Amino acid sequence: MNSFFYFIEQFFNNAIFYYALFVMLSYVLLAFLSAVEMKSYLRKNSYVDYRQILVSPNAPSVSILAPAYNEEATIVDNVRSLLSLHYSNFEVIIINDGSKDKSLETLIQYYDLEIVDFALNEQIKTKPLKGVYKSKNPAYSKLTVVDKVNGGKSDALNLGINVSSKELILCIDVDCIVEQDAILRMVKPFMDESKRVIATGGVVRIANSCEVRDGRLIKVHLPDKIIPRFQVLEYIRAFLMGRMAWSRLNGLLLISGAMGLFDKEIVIKCGGYNHNTVGEDMELVVRMRRYMHEHDLPYRVVYIPDPLCWTESPSDLNILGRQRNRWTRGTIETLWSHKELFFNPRYGLLGLLSYPYWFFFEWLAPILEFLGLFIFITLALMGNINWEFSLILMSMVYLFAITLSTVAVLYEELSYQQYTSGRDLIKLLLIALIEPLLYHPLNVYWAIRGNIDIITGKKSWGTMTRTGFGAPKVKAA
Amino acid sequence: MDSVHYIQELFTARLPFFPSNIRASLFIMLFCIIAFTELYLYIITRRLKQTWERAREAKYKEKITNMLAHIVLYDEDDVTDAVNHFVPRFKKLPLRDKAVRELLVKELLDYHANFTGKTAEILKGLYLGLKLDRAARRKIKSRYWETQVEGIREVTQMWIREDADLILKLTDDENSQLRMEAQTAFVKLSSDDPFRFLDRARERILEWHQLVLFEVITKTRNVQIPSFSKWLSSRNDSVVMLCLKLVKHYQQLDAIPDLIRLLMHPNLKIRSKTINILGILEAEMAEEDLFNMYFDQPVEIKTEIIKAMGRISSGNYLEFLKSRTQTDDFKIRMDAFRSIKLHGAEGRELLNNIYQVTTSQNKAIINHVLDERIKG
Repeated sequence: MNSFFYFIEQFFNNAIFYYALFVMLSYVLLAFLSAVEMKSYLRKNSYVDYRQILVSPNAPSVSILAPAYNEEATIVDNVRSLLSLHYSNFEVIIINDGSKDKSLETLIQYYDLEIVDFALNEQIKTKPLKGVYKSKNPAYSKLTVVDKVNGGKSDALNLGINVSSKELILCIDVDCIVEQDAILRMVKPFMDESKRVIATGGVVRIANSCEVRDGRLIKVHLPDKIIPRFQVLEYIRAFLMGRMAWSRLNGLLLISGAMGLFDKEIVIKCGGYNHNTVGEDMELVVRMRRYMHEHDLPYRVVYIPDPLCWTESPSDLNILGRQRNRWTRGTIETLWSHKELFFNPRYGLLGLLSYPYWFFFEWLAPILEFLGLFIFITLALMGNINWEFSLILMSMVYLFAITLSTVAVLYEELSYQQYTSGRDLIKLLLIALIEPLLYHPLNVYWAIRGNIDIITGKKSWGTMTRTGFGAPKVKAA
Repeated sequence: MDSVHYIQELFTARLPFFPSNIRASLFIMLFCIIAFTELYLYIITRRLKQTWERAREAKYKEKITNMLAHIVLYDEDDVTDAVNHFVPRFKKLPLRDKAVRELLVKELLDYHANFTGKTAEILKGLYLGLKLDRAARRKIKSRYWETQVEGIREVTQMWIREDADLILKLTDDENSQLRMEAQTAFVKLSSDDPFRFLDRARERILEWHQLVLFEVITKTRNVQIPSFSKWLSSRNDSVVMLCLKLVKHYQQLDAIPDLIRLLMHPNLKIRSKTINILGILEAEMAEEDLFNMYFDQPVEIKTEIIKAMGRISSGNYLEFLKSRTQTDDFKIRMDAFRSIKLHGAEGRELLNNIYQVTTSQNKAIINHVLDERIKG
């Protein structure tokens, strides 16, 4: 019996060790690639005068698509903020997805809207359109409000695509704070690559505790509460290290649903957003990439490190848990519906690297982590643990995690340095020390819940309650 | 002390006796501790250094701005005298310090961009008097493209036309950023033949570069604008595309015969743009060619032809446009109705007639087309 436990312990130690080593190695490689990509981006764009795009008649046209569901309280400010973005050839399409509150009435009243005779080209099948509204006031001629029967975010975006009259579509969450020059920066890769660019994404940042006025970000602060603060570090790591590296490899699978610019023609040819997944943002990018591979069309999906979009992150554990649960389910649904890609050389890097990475490191990692913990506790209860070795292994993982987070903070410092206050920097560095101990285990737990929910057939999005940015805020020191 | 001793033992006496994974873990831990400590120290010292540098920069910036303000207010008609007056004063600045020199150059360029006439001439004289142009020239000859770009921007901003030939060599450089900077600078600086680089352009001019070049060409004053049809037969498709945009901007009607020749171009984007421009130039002489080619074209070209016929609106192809309203493709029908509408009273009447007899979807399209509030 003892030899059996010894075997289990040895196997467990080695398997976990080599898996962890592999994951860590991949993170180091991604961090390196990300540094290369970011350096190249910053060098290349430090001389760019974006005003040239602003005034040019040759800049591509953009439709901003913003689905709205029960956004009565903030919709007017959000739309005003979108209309004031720095770009010349664009339209704003707000899709009222069957709101139960007075979102539509508020818009009609404030923006002086009236129904128009709109002939819809139903290129993507959606829930029925109830009406298209335009403003009587020429100052709001760029605004179109679409009213439809409730069908969810994907369905709303698909209807927006059908209504859009421009070449590119910028899909955003209506409650995000979008930087004024966001479109200018996101459009540039579409003109600046030798291959056809099918999508670009920008860095999404956490706006909690930041000073916001009239839907615009005035001053950046680190969140007061610890849960959003953890997410700041997590976002910096994910965007500045992960996605930039994947962009370098042209292997990006995910462009955040909060803000992504897409080639409309390809989106339509792919059939638009998928209604049957809670991870519609990732699923669309994977499907677009598949389409390009299957039609032998050279393409790129580009990520830019500029902070373009600020969002309120959950500061409540329950809401955050629901969000992470949904992200896990979205990942699983996407991986499952595109399982043909798994190590399929026909899809090049997409099949041989990006998909397997997501499979092994994004989906499988928390499961293995949980399993490891379970076996560890079982063996510990049975007195079959070498505590010294276990402590060494765990310390290694912990030290690696905090080093990686510190590298992420360094990237932030070397690039955009959003947190200008020294105090915020120190707080960010300190949060890196406790994040692996307090926040990471919660993420593993939520990921496991997501896996259980998908097995039990849970499909819902889960409520995402936001407190809003509210009135201009003066930050306490 | 016990814990220190324990850790020391881990990495020394006991190390050879550990299994390989534990040994590897200990090495990774050691590496992480060193890396982590260095990163912390680097981040914090970098911030402190930044704060110090900013304070220093602010001090010199204030000084330089004050000195430049004197130039703006200086009451002397003779530019040479004014330059001779200011050069010794500016030489007192610690210009051997790279940071101060760069700051002065930046401020000089900013001021030069914002002033014209005598002040701009004095600023340029000061720039030359301080021999900053030599440094810019050295930058242009650097091995690093970023430095070359900086140099090009400096001489362009200061309008040092003598450097145009130096820049011409870089207009077909392998590095696309440098190439673009050189091309835009050459357009501004070359006084005799600013578009010479188009003859020798072998590398692709990316869309972004086309946009920048277009802006520079169309916004720079005193540029000799040639007939861009000269380059419509270029083997470089991107040169053709740029020239098409310029033909459109300058409404160069003499280019119409060359545009008609481009209708058979194998590149779809060029073909589509050509049709678009023929429409904008209201080239009635191209209508027959457009009609003849229509049925063999992909949908995106068909819609461009229909739109062009709307813009030309000669009335010769109204029946053809009417026939296009019967097709299955929604976009073609929408564009056909729009083009009919562009035919003025005759078009409106035709739309009314079609409305009486057509399908409900076509009626919806006609209503859409006639609704002036809808732009798309």
